[in-house]
Amino acid sequence: MAKREGIGYFARFGVTERWIAEALAEALSRGADHADVFFQHRVSTSLALQDGAVNRAFQGVSLGVGVRAVKGDQQGYGFTEDLSPEALRECARTAAAIADGPARPGPQAFHVSPRPARYPVQRPWSQVRPEERLPLLSALNERAFAADPRMVKVSVSLSDGEGAILVADSQGRIVEDDQPMTTLALSCVAEQGGRRETGGYNVAGRAGFEFYGPDRLDRLVHRAVERTLLLFEAVPAPVGEMPVVLAAGSSGILLHEAIGHGMEADFNRKNTSIYADRIGKPVARPFVSIVDDATVPGARGAINVDDEGNAAGRTVLVENGVLATYLHDAISARHYGVVPTGNGRRESYQHAPLPRMRATYMLPGPHRHDEIVASVKRGLYCDHFQNGQVNIGAGDFTFYVKSGWLIEDGKRTRPVKDVNIIGNGPRVLEQVDMVGDDLVVDEGGWTCGKDGQSVPVSQGMPTVRVASLTVGGQGKG
Amino acid sequence: MKSDMLSTAREGAALARRCGAQDAAVVAYRSRQVSVEWRDGKLEKIGESTTRGLALELFADGRWASVSTSDLRPDALARFVADAVALTRKLEPDPFRALPDPALYRGQASLALDLVDPGVGSLSSARRREMCREAEEAARGGPGADRLVSVSTSFGDGLHESWRVHTNGFEGERRATDFWISAVVSARDADGRRPEEWDAAGARHLAELPAAGEVGRRAAERARARLGARKAPSEVTALVVDGRAAGRLVSALLDPMGGGSLQQRRSFLEGKVGQVIGSPLLSLDDDPLRPRALGSRLFDSEGLAARRFPLFDGGRLASYYLDTYYARKLGLTPTTRSTSNLTWRTGPEGQEGLLRSVGDGFLVTGFLGGNSNSTTGDFSLGMNGFRIRGGAQAEPVAEMNASGNLLTLWKALAAVGNDPYPWSPLRTPTLVFEGVAVAGT
Repeated sequence: MAKREGIGYFARFGVTERWIAEALAEALSRGADHADVFFQHRVSTSLALQDGAVNRAFQGVSLGVGVRAVKGDQQGYGFTEDLSPEALRECARTAAAIADGPARPGPQAFHVSPRPARYPVQRPWSQVRPEERLPLLSALNERAFAADPRMVKVSVSLSDGEGAILVADSQGRIVEDDQPMTTLALSCVAEQGGRRETGGYNVAGRAGFEFYGPDRLDRLVHRAVERTLLLFEAVPAPVGEMPVVLAAGSSGILLHEAIGHGMEADFNRKNTSIYADRIGKPVARPFVSIVDDATVPGARGAINVDDEGNAAGRTVLVENGVLATYLHDAISARHYGVVPTGNGRRESYQHAPLPRMRATYMLPGPHRHDEIVASVKRGLYCDHFQNGQVNIGAGDFTFYVKSGWLIEDGKRTRPVKDVNIIGNGPRVLEQVDMVGDDLVVDEGGWTCGKDGQSVPVSQGMPTVRVASLTVGGQGKG
Repeated sequence: MKSDMLSTAREGAALARRCGAQDAAVVAYRSRQVSVEWRDGKLEKIGESTTRGLALELFADGRWASVSTSDLRPDALARFVADAVALTRKLEPDPFRALPDPALYRGQASLALDLVDPGVGSLSSARRREMCREAEEAARGGPGADRLVSVSTSFGDGLHESWRVHTNGFEGERRATDFWISAVVSARDADGRRPEEWDAAGARHLAELPAAGEVGRRAAERARARLGARKAPSEVTALVVDGRAAGRLVSALLDPMGGGSLQQRRSFLEGKVGQVIGSPLLSLDDDPLRPRALGSRLFDSEGLAARRFPLFDGGRLASYYLDTYYARKLGLTPTTRSTSNLTWRTGPEGQEGLLRSVGDGFLVTGFLGGNSNSTTGDFSLGMNGFRIRGGAQAEPVAEMNASGNLLTLWKALAAVGNDPYPWSPLRTPTLVFEGVAVAGT
């Protein structure tokens, strides 16, 4: 039936087009508007070094299929690891029960949709032998210890994965993708005068073994060591409201929490987001533009297609200060009568897709880094983040600063550490009053959690000044 | 099916040996889950699935790996195990890796934990939907219903089974059911904010869940109570932390008690067994043998016979969480790898009484983001809740933060409530802390 121009995953999953057609017909048997199947095969390996030896490995293989039936905003979902035609049809029957009407016809023929190539791999992980991987970890361990005598423990982990997906839907569309991923993390414990501090750095991307060139490895060691030792110099973080300068790079965590989640269209179609009904309205100064981008080459948050088989491009959340587009999956796009934005993502075949971010960042603005720092009389400069969270409806969000700096009289002076910052999304966007020209999309291994599903994401930012945020320190106000 | 999965685990162990591993610890698992989500008067989502897989710890030539697969097709499984053993043999040796001492497998409590509700298979989809509907109707039935912008409710149940086989003699079976109900309510505030609140409960037996209507009603009450929340001025003051939220602080205290944190020198509790860490009111045990409880087990994730042991006694740190590997590395005796249930020495008063004795401060009903540092004990957590004025809950507060050091915080524990939160294995009562730095305006 189908043109054979896919990447041949039918064989990998041991299924045929006829089984898929039968499962889709079953999923539509009670009147659903739409049905899809999502096959996934993922092999993940992780090698880790502790106490000087690469003495542990973790490996996981997951293989399964999820079948979904959609009726308006409603959906039924079933999944199985048993890829037999009987098990597929059973999942489809489960999913079909979301609707309660006459059957709709399944697809008559399938066609394979093309996809871009945003993460070409030179050295696929399946072809990289352990003998090549081990020395990478050992060398990093030696370099971290050699960097400073205060180092007492070093751990390193190298994770990689290859994942094949195949999506087929009731419109007869088939989409396949290969989704590589790798992360390398270096973590240090150092001791000085009886005090101990931990710090680290990690790099991640959709790439093969070639990702780990000398520059990236140098940066990994340098930053992990520097960030750990800096903590010994830290003074107590201040407390209360003050201007905050966000360094270029992983400060994009502010966008992820302050606006990204609130723009996910499921919260808006449910009317539970603080951004519901605000499309077309000004939310920030004219030099603020924010995008969620699937196309950043090799980025951890890059995707060729989303997990519903929809094309994924660059979605503009805020254009010149005006709220522009929600992040849609297929259900919310139908709800709003718009084209899906390619944000329908899922953790695995065990989950139905949801609107999710990819690589979220602010476009460069008119200011220079030095000018932004110099403009602050007394405030905080944040450049190393650990995690964040948001209340979608109230808009309150937090991000945890692992380390940063005090700004006193326009200069970065003393480091601070372990301080949470809290703000309210729409108010903080209004208070972004300087945006640098130095956008960096961070190379770190960020993971976003929502509804119990984790997906890899990226985030980026130019240097930005926020006029006021609440800093949760213990020092003087 | 049962004997199938046990034989899958046994075959996995035999396969590992055939492939060259000297020892293996193998778990075959199967889990059936059904869920219903309901929103604003209609079904939102239904889900039903059975998942299964095999997990193996491999011990080969003094080397170790931990692997798992959901691809149980015989050819694929054989290839997977062979590849995994080959990978293991390429690692560097680790003299501390070995299966647990079989002596520690013995002495399992002869006790019926009663973790399976026999009714799990006969629950109908109509009944599940009915409970979701009841929860929504109760949420919408209270005062101020016009302020609610959305009500989502859900019900789920599952049967989880696993079979564990170790090549040095351990075999164990574990079966447990669970049932969950939740309601999430969003309310519209005057300024366009839509604060959201929730109520939820989970138990091993359906009969232990509260009525669906009660869950919905409480979620709506909480959402209405959030309306008009404001940031309050920064100060150093008393925090009364509701048991539903307090687990966050408890986890921050338990994490550095783990063998990995201790051995890797990432723990502010290193070398502190026997020392005073908290106020005299801090007394709690790890308690795996509580019938029907969410964290109960007869043996742990290494097959060690489960027993109750003290974590803190009158403020003194009594034990660590040590698995076989890190206990060997530290030269200590294993306890167990991770928390089962906590049992607290509770105080005489409920939350209202505690608010009265505190007088002024904040009642924390939720933490938002933030983190704690296991190496130093520093923490900084977003929080929301209510002002306490004149010994009672007053206006709602939001967008605030609490910070400090855990060693100071737990010494400032001034009271423990009589109300352990029943829907989490941490079973934490309302906790009162004095002199905490709170950031706001």
